[in-house]
Amino acid sequence: MASRKKVLLKVIILGDSGVGKTSLMNQFVNKKFTNQYKATIGADFLTKEVIVDDRIVTMQIWDTAGQERFQSLGVAFYRGADCCVLVFDVTAPNTFKSLESWRDEFLIQASPRDPDNFPFVILGNKVDLENRAVSAKRAQQWCQSKNDIPYFETSAKEAVNVELAFQTIARNALAQETEAELYNEFPDQIKLNANDNGRNRDGDNCAC
Amino acid sequence: MENFVKKYSYHLEKVLSFAVCYYYTSQAQMTNQVSPVEEQEKLLDEALNIVKVQAFQMKRCLDKSKLMDALKHASTMLGELRTSLLSPKSYYELYMAITDELRHLELYLLEEFQKGRKVADLYELVQYAGNIVPRLYLLITVGLVYIKTNTNLRRDLLKDLVEMCRGVQHPLRGLFLRNYLLQCTRNVLPDTTEAQNDSEGTVRDAIDFVLMNFAEMNKLWVRMQHQGHSRDKERRERERSELRILVGTNLVRLSQLESVTVEDYGRLVLPGILEQVVSCRDAIAQEYLMECIIQVFPDEFHLANLQPFLKSCAELQPGVNIKNIIIALIERLASYSQRNEGNVNLSVVLEDGKEQEVQLFEVFSDQVAAITQSRSDMAPEDMLSLQLALLKLAQRCHPDKLNYVDRVLAHTDKICADIHHNSGKPHLEHNTPVFKELMKILKLPADHYKNILTLIRLQNYAPLISHLNHQGRVMIAVHLVNDVLETDTMISNPEDVESVLSMLDVLVKDQPEQLASESDVEDFNEEQGLLARLIHHFISDSADQQYLILSAARKALQSGGARRIQHTFPPILFHAYQLAFIYKDLKDQDEMWEKKCQKIFQFCHQTISMLVKAELAELPLRLYLQGALAISEIGFANHETIAYEYLSQAFSLYEDEISDSKAQLAAITLIIATFEQINCFGAENAEPMRTQCALAASKLLKKPDQSRAVALCAHLFWKGAKDGKQWPLNDASRALDCLKKGARVAQQCMDGGVQAQLLAELLGRYALLRERGNASLTTNLIDAVIQKIREELANLDQSEEVEQITKHFHNTLQHLKNRMECPDPDGLGYEGLVLS
Repeated sequence: MASRKKVLLKVIILGDSGVGKTSLMNQFVNKKFTNQYKATIGADFLTKEVIVDDRIVTMQIWDTAGQERFQSLGVAFYRGADCCVLVFDVTAPNTFKSLESWRDEFLIQASPRDPDNFPFVILGNKVDLENRAVSAKRAQQWCQSKNDIPYFETSAKEAVNVELAFQTIARNALAQETEAELYNEFPDQIKLNANDNGRNRDGDNCAC
Repeated sequence: MENFVKKYSYHLEKVLSFAVCYYYTSQAQMTNQVSPVEEQEKLLDEALNIVKVQAFQMKRCLDKSKLMDALKHASTMLGELRTSLLSPKSYYELYMAITDELRHLELYLLEEFQKGRKVADLYELVQYAGNIVPRLYLLITVGLVYIKTNTNLRRDLLKDLVEMCRGVQHPLRGLFLRNYLLQCTRNVLPDTTEAQNDSEGTVRDAIDFVLMNFAEMNKLWVRMQHQGHSRDKERRERERSELRILVGTNLVRLSQLESVTVEDYGRLVLPGILEQVVSCRDAIAQEYLMECIIQVFPDEFHLANLQPFLKSCAELQPGVNIKNIIIALIERLASYSQRNEGNVNLSVVLEDGKEQEVQLFEVFSDQVAAITQSRSDMAPEDMLSLQLALLKLAQRCHPDKLNYVDRVLAHTDKICADIHHNSGKPHLEHNTPVFKELMKILKLPADHYKNILTLIRLQNYAPLISHLNHQGRVMIAVHLVNDVLETDTMISNPEDVESVLSMLDVLVKDQPEQLASESDVEDFNEEQGLLARLIHHFISDSADQQYLILSAARKALQSGGARRIQHTFPPILFHAYQLAFIYKDLKDQDEMWEKKCQKIFQFCHQTISMLVKAELAELPLRLYLQGALAISEIGFANHETIAYEYLSQAFSLYEDEISDSKAQLAAITLIIATFEQINCFGAENAEPMRTQCALAASKLLKKPDQSRAVALCAHLFWKGAKDGKQWPLNDASRALDCLKKGARVAQQCMDGGVQAQLLAELLGRYALLRERGNASLTTNLIDAVIQKIREELANLDQSEEVEQITKHFHNTLQHLKNRMECPDPDGLGYEGLVLS
């Protein structure tokens, strides 16, 4: 049944400010890159259709603000995510160190059904730059220690590994989504009179 | 479909009537208190459950292609967004859950439309939804599908949607509805300068669309401030601050339009935003939106429009913290300029319309000055923070322009003067906000250049330090000295030495307002220790220059008083002695070297006398002795007289100033030792010196001290051969007399242990001088001392002390034994000595 339906995958991109989250998404969705830095405020998504194992799926990719002060309404958009992409900048060790707290924060806020097996993907971005400060080995070791998270070294600027990484993201998200559907077939209860006024709600009685 | 615009006017009327009706009900609702946390969770849970049920039904209907039923469920689900009971964060969660579900509807419709299964009049159809909130969400969803499947509708539909949203005037609901509009239209906004046909629209339409949405959202957001009870002000402001990202997203959207050029930005986008920001006259909105502009638009756009932006800053409400806005902009552009290695093209339009190249710093410097002047309410610490930001800019973007840094420091100086003027106090009080800012300003260039030589080139740096209170000045001075030590900076000419020491004035001499109790002794000594270490960095490659440096240093430091010069003069003197040795090495190149050495030792003599005048004794005594050693070794013309002068000065200090018996023994020991090392004296000078020493030794108060010192005097009369030559002034019998007298005094001691100890030491001295060739110290005499020690030891009870003495004695005996077994071919042996 699930295979007939059109699938919508929700992917969240997280990471410190300036690591290139928006650039990665723009490279993947629009095949464009700019060196100009524009901060992201709140959370915003772009959609893109991709084909995973002969199935057309719509990826809804949420780009988020790395700076906490630009998330004043909280992170309700984590809910219902099918995959979480954690990005760091290979030239800035601090952004690598933050991965742990981004991952923890996501698991707490999104509270996925099976946190141990929730699909994450790690992207070490900006490999085109010369002043690299986090080695591939170090990043891989960390990913292995976290239940073998897939790791990609990307360059949003030169489109290195971006396509490949998002393919993996889509595939892992789809696996998650398919699994989730098994549980989600029916809501908790079905009220036959769905429009009932059982609740003592304080809404307006006006027709508008 | 073509006539929807006509229909639209009808709908607008309808919407407006709804709005009026809505207005009355919402007034009633607004007085409701938002429920406490648990209540919120409960309300949200209930709403989310309904969303779940309705979404499920909606999707099932979509699966069965029952669109009208699906829309009904969607509308019911959206009805949850009509609530007035949720806090912004809870409402956001609900909004997220619902819009996630709406995406399924959108996907379904899109697929249907793409397959050519267009539903007739859907856009009109959804407008019959009973309530305005669900109606507009559905309208936007459907409108989006229309636009995606037929770009010819884009321009009109975008206009229609942004207008229709006016129907919701409740701030929270309106903000989220418009956020939905903004989110949905993200990828469909026309982003080309020239459209293929008019109805698709151009980027100009996109700008108008977003600016309009922005203006409406900002009005809703600002209106929140003026609704409800004044006691809820704090809560309201917190909620406003939570909602701000929704308003800011409009600016993000504008920054995402790729065909907007720098010119478009300056001509359309920025003026549009600024007009709204300035005219809303709301401090919270202004502060946030100005910062948003800085963050979301690229550097190049800011650079080209600095003046209008900064001008608007000056027009903001009094409550706006302009400092933060300017600093954010400065920091952003400073890092940009740094990334581009200072290659920033910046031009301004002058009053006559001509463009002129300007420096980033110049623009900010002028505007900051204008803003500080126009905003008389600005706190002085904020003015200083602005100067700090300017300073960073100058250092990062114009590393070659020291005069920019100086200019900021001069401004800072003026601000500080005004602060004193207003407070009536001569200094900034410790740890006040202004004090802290000034500290940062002073530390910034210090840490940036890491070179005190650069700091002294800044005319306004040193004067700025004087605005701090005493403690603050000490902190800065210590910071600066530590930097020199850390970076190993050499200060290599007298002018720089003067400037550096004048900058460190607070360490160099007493300050008028300084209280004696203010600094504790330990801290003071530590500071002076640092200053002393600094003097070791006063070094020039040229010997003549070095002399001038030392003179300059002494001149600056001599006013420091006894407490300071005892720390700072010794390094000067050691420098000077070292310099004399350098001249000795240069004797072949510099025929004046002897004269120069004389001058140096004259300088040193004066320097030490100053310490004497400061009523110090033990320190100058040692420095005289050290000088005498240097003089004797360098051996320039007339050196014997000068060495004698130094030594006799040391001796006078001993006689006149040193009264403590321990200090006396230490001093006479050093004098004797120094004399022993000096070989330049003829009989004329040596005789009085050694006679005086022996006399002084014999006059020591305590017997053990006397015994030791007198025995030591033996060295004044007998020295070992040097380069195979005997010392001409050797006097074997007087050396023996000293040792004999030492032994006699030792035996006058009451304590047996002390006697044994002194005799054991004496035995060593006998052996030493005999080995140095004094034959009058016969083996018989040595044997007698040995016997005497044995006698004494036998009478003593065992104790740790006695054990020590015994060990010392046996070590000496072992030495004698070794020498007897394998005698030194050049020295006297111990023939006839019997060691049992």
